[in-house]
Amino acid sequence: MDATNIKRDDPMYDAPLRKTELDVQQNKIAARDVQVYYGDTHAIKDVSVDILDKTVTAFIGPSGCGKSTFLRTLNRMNDTIDICRVEGQISIDGDDIYDKRVDPVQLRAKVGMVFQKPNPFPKSIYDNVAYGPRIHGLARNKAELDEIVEKALRRGAIWNEVKDRLHAPGTGLSGGQQQRLCIARAVATEPEVLLMDEPCSALDPIATAQVEELIDELRQDYSVVIVTHSMQQAARVSQKTAFFHLGNLVEYGETSQIFTNPVDPRTESYITGRIG
Amino acid sequence: MSDATYSGAGKGRSSLTTADARTAKRNAAEKRFRFYGLAAIGAGMFFLVVLLTAIVSNGIGAFQQTFIEVPVYLDEQALDPNGNRDPADMRKVSTFGYNPLIQTALYQQVRDAGIETSYEDAGDMKALLSASAAAEVRDWVLENPGRIGDTVTFELLASSRVDGYLKDRVSRDSIVNDRNIDAGHLDLVDALQADGALHKSFNPGFIFGSDASESRAEQAGLGVSMLGSLFMMLVVLVLALPIGVAASIYLEEFAPKNRITDIIEVNISNLAAVPSIVFGILGLAAFIQFAHLPQSAPLVGGLVLTLMTLPTIIISTRASLKAVPPSIRDAALGVGASKMQATFHHVLPLAMPGILTGTIIGLAQALGETAPLLLIGMVGYIATNYPDGIVSGFMAPNSAMPAQIYEWAKRADPAYYERAWGGIIILLVFLLIMNVIAVVLRRKFERRW
Repeated sequence: MDATNIKRDDPMYDAPLRKTELDVQQNKIAARDVQVYYGDTHAIKDVSVDILDKTVTAFIGPSGCGKSTFLRTLNRMNDTIDICRVEGQISIDGDDIYDKRVDPVQLRAKVGMVFQKPNPFPKSIYDNVAYGPRIHGLARNKAELDEIVEKALRRGAIWNEVKDRLHAPGTGLSGGQQQRLCIARAVATEPEVLLMDEPCSALDPIATAQVEELIDELRQDYSVVIVTHSMQQAARVSQKTAFFHLGNLVEYGETSQIFTNPVDPRTESYITGRIG
Repeated sequence: MSDATYSGAGKGRSSLTTADARTAKRNAAEKRFRFYGLAAIGAGMFFLVVLLTAIVSNGIGAFQQTFIEVPVYLDEQALDPNGNRDPADMRKVSTFGYNPLIQTALYQQVRDAGIETSYEDAGDMKALLSASAAAEVRDWVLENPGRIGDTVTFELLASSRVDGYLKDRVSRDSIVNDRNIDAGHLDLVDALQADGALHKSFNPGFIFGSDASESRAEQAGLGVSMLGSLFMMLVVLVLALPIGVAASIYLEEFAPKNRITDIIEVNISNLAAVPSIVFGILGLAAFIQFAHLPQSAPLVGGLVLTLMTLPTIIISTRASLKAVPPSIRDAALGVGASKMQATFHHVLPLAMPGILTGTIIGLAQALGETAPLLLIGMVGYIATNYPDGIVSGFMAPNSAMPAQIYEWAKRADPAYYERAWGGIIILLVFLLIMNVIAVVLRRKFERRW
């Protein structure tokens, strides 16, 4: 697939001049010299990256290259792993998220996450979506909560399929529907950044297409970071692409440029299928 | 190896319809293994059937008891000499006052039925009746003082020898040297049975009654020790479930994984394998000698069994917490739940069936435990009455079901042998009920979606 043909009409693509402007004004996440260790293993080495607001950023790279690990440092999900240690600086809107005063719970409300395998709670569809708003106290009453749930499900592009069975179990949905439910659950807490860890790897091509379409829509409101194994997917949905290899960020730039004219030979080898 | 395979396959003469030597060998091995498996299961089933048959055939008799219907004339002269029906006065007449009335009544009944007997004195027939008969009549009279002066027909317990004769435990040969009963008494029993006054019927006293002295096997029941077991189980449930679940949740979800938690983990597993009598001596030292809690009390028994059950509950709870997929924790943390919210809102409900099953299995184990009770004084001839209330239920000396069974099994009178087996039937029924509850709860809490 030729990445340059995608979304020609997108404002992100038309003017090189605007790019620098965006970098300054819409810098959502700034990571500087990030190191991640699992015990003695140095999993992420010196990664510095700027992630823009209202943009889809794709992390690509062979298995075990650290892209998922890096994604999980962005909302401190790695905190749950005892042996994991993060060094360097990651800031969101200028706030260092590894500052001692930062409560990871608040951070995760701001940085939502969708996982590789759809993981709805074994509860009703409604409760799945309502759980986040409930624990964060986003709704004052039932009517408001209903509204939040409906809005989130519409955002997740699943409202029409489930509106008549909101109290049916979320785990009874098909895989693709479950993943969109998980996306709806993630957006229900009104996050500013949405992290997606290979969200389509467990889905069939039709469900994948639906989720990809959804990701493109989510870009209107969020900064989306997606880890993917599929280079076609990265080319289809993202504006920026970062290529990771053996824990290093090898190359980061406009998706069109990475796929058509990579600077680093390793990137070229990977996208042409010689490594990975 | 590969050469051999190649040469075999390379011959090209092997047909798919005839098995080659290797295949035949493999198939034979599989057939043998299936046979071993079936044989093992068959042996297991056989022993189970033998066990159950033995228990039921030996113990079922305990649920039946021989009774003699005796119309007793409640003589006012003897039972209420003052004639004012004052309960305090009536209590002064002990069972010795009732015995002659009952013996006379039985003598009269034999005479009226036209049964020929060599016994001339009413007192000679007392061997037929349980020593508890007088107490039985007295209790009834104290409750119904208005009936004094009437002739009331009582179903009185026959003595254990008579009961044994009807259950083929006692024969004319076996009583030759028995001072408690003569052949003449057995003739009377036959005659009374033919007359219909003496019969075997269901004995609620065995299930609901209290223990009786060595010489009154016919009166002994499991009811009071059942209550002792119940109070112990309450203590175990109230203490072991919250402590065990809290400890497991902390260790599994919150505790850092380091050397100290490793040591704790290993020790909990070791505690599960510690012989229960060790917990008994620990309970004796800690709760009775140090804390001065009363001896033989279900409270102490419950505390000891709590110590014993905790490792079981912790291990099964941790296993079921571990079985909850990590993706659920990720999902909860990912929407900004705190660790505690993730645990209590999502992980714990999913682990619930396992926790409940583990708890009930632990309780069932505790219910059947005898050894630690030996050391805190809960085995022996202890309670003859129901506790007065909740407090004395916990604090007053009592026994427990398995301890009572053990106590019966070691008594000399062969009548107690049957009661020990009968007690085991009741204990097994309780264990069966608890296991059914565990299955039902598991089904109820299990989320199939």
